[in-house]
Amino acid sequence: MVLGLFRPKSVAPRLERIRSLFLFVDLTPGELAIVDGLVHERPFLKDEVIFDEGDDGQAIYIVLEGEVVICRQGRPDDGRLALLGPGTFFGELALLDQGPRAAQARAASDCRLLVLFREDFMSLLDTQARIASKVGRQLARHLGQRMRVMARTAETCQHL
Amino acid sequence: MTVTTPHYGSGPVVWAGIIGATCLLLFVFQKMLWLVVPFLLALVLYYMLFPPVQRLVYGGMSREAATGVVMVGFLAVLGVGFTLMLPWLAAHLVDGQASIERYVQGGLKLAERSLQALEARWALLAEAEVAESMVQRLDYMSGHLSRHIEPLAMGIAAWTPSLLLAPFVTFFLLRDGQRFKRFLGSAVPNAFFERTLYLLHEVDRTARAYFQGLIQLTVLDTITLAVGLWAMGFPGALALGFICAVLAWVPYVGSILGGLLVVLVAATDFPETPAMAYWAVTLFVFARLLDDFFYMPLTIGKSLHMHPVVTVVMIFVGGAVAGVPGLMLVLPVLGVVMVVGATIGEVVTDPRLMARHYHARALRKQGAGVDLGL
Repeated sequence: MVLGLFRPKSVAPRLERIRSLFLFVDLTPGELAIVDGLVHERPFLKDEVIFDEGDDGQAIYIVLEGEVVICRQGRPDDGRLALLGPGTFFGELALLDQGPRAAQARAASDCRLLVLFREDFMSLLDTQARIASKVGRQLARHLGQRMRVMARTAETCQHL
Repeated sequence: MTVTTPHYGSGPVVWAGIIGATCLLLFVFQKMLWLVVPFLLALVLYYMLFPPVQRLVYGGMSREAATGVVMVGFLAVLGVGFTLMLPWLAAHLVDGQASIERYVQGGLKLAERSLQALEARWALLAEAEVAESMVQRLDYMSGHLSRHIEPLAMGIAAWTPSLLLAPFVTFFLLRDGQRFKRFLGSAVPNAFFERTLYLLHEVDRTARAYFQGLIQLTVLDTITLAVGLWAMGFPGALALGFICAVLAWVPYVGSILGGLLVVLVAATDFPETPAMAYWAVTLFVFARLLDDFFYMPLTIGKSLHMHPVVTVVMIFVGGAVAGVPGLMLVLPVLGVVMVVGATIGEVVTDPRLMARHYHARALRKQGAGVDLGL
């Protein structure tokens, strides 16, 4: 019994699934349990609108299963900006700068998303320094990757 | 294709609905006070105990264990406090009746002296023997005080079991509050989900702000009254100020009771200087004016993001609809109904959100019957 205290904690399957997500990849089981208490799981059907361009951004979305297309408002085919698969997240920009949504998000296939409400996310960052630094680092990596992709795209366009 | 989503605010119809729903809720609550009062107490306890529970959870404890630890700690502190206070309480309960009678007699003497002074100046009052008849009537009423005390004691005894509900409800609010929030959210269609999360957050924020505002108001009232009474030389100014501040939780009626208490103390402890009682009344009226038109809109009204005029008008409306309970409950109920009403108003008047909802419903219907050839 006493030795059990020193064994590494086993992670429940749901928590394991959350840990596999890019944003929470560095979190410990205890920290994952805190995050798990804050997220909501929502199913979306193919073609269902998740949010519209110009909406107030109240939450960040993480793709658990399926695919999501980020596109210009009402143009999922010719206005496509990105196609996101399991483990990725979106909606973080409106959350960080409190501005309106910059694009529309639609389910590209039947999918399951985790939703983290803005106030819960912000209070987590405010009160949990360790979680904040780990999540913040992942967010910075994600934004850096996105900037690199955009720079490459701009370069390609110039060459063309 | 660009879809413009204009911002929809609360119009007069939504506001009429908010005021109507508040009045209806107050009327219903007044009929089931045995449940509403413990629930209200549970909410106060919840907002008081939530920060330590959250700290333990963030420290690595499970929510169940953290809730258990904090509740047991709170009940232990309460039990120790009560045990320590017991000898003092017992001593005061024994001579409590004598003290009450002394203060009532002090009040009667003040009334008699004041009326006699008026009679000396107004012959008409002297002819009508106002002082004698009034004092006789008051004396008769105070002589039958014991008749009122018994039903009051019985009422308190009948209320005690339902008050025991408060820690029970608090425990489950602390333990399952988050789960309940998720359960409520899961019943909401995807199109309205973000707005619903915002709504739940705002309801929580409003209730927390209200109870924090109430505590701020009590501190401000206590300081104002205690400083005034202390400057006038009253004994136990701080305790008296605190009792009056707590009584002021019941708007108007509580203030009258508090004022009466201060006058009785002045008349009994300073029998030779009736001016003290008049100064006490003046201080009390000044404190009430500050409270109702300055402190209350600044603390509770501000915490609920309510216009001061709306705060004052709704207090009167609450009193008219549901009496004393209405006066007490009107502001928190209005605060919550306001948030719910404004959000629902925003959702149902937003054609884009409704269109998204119908679209999602059509997709689900189509998906449900895909292999049925419908």
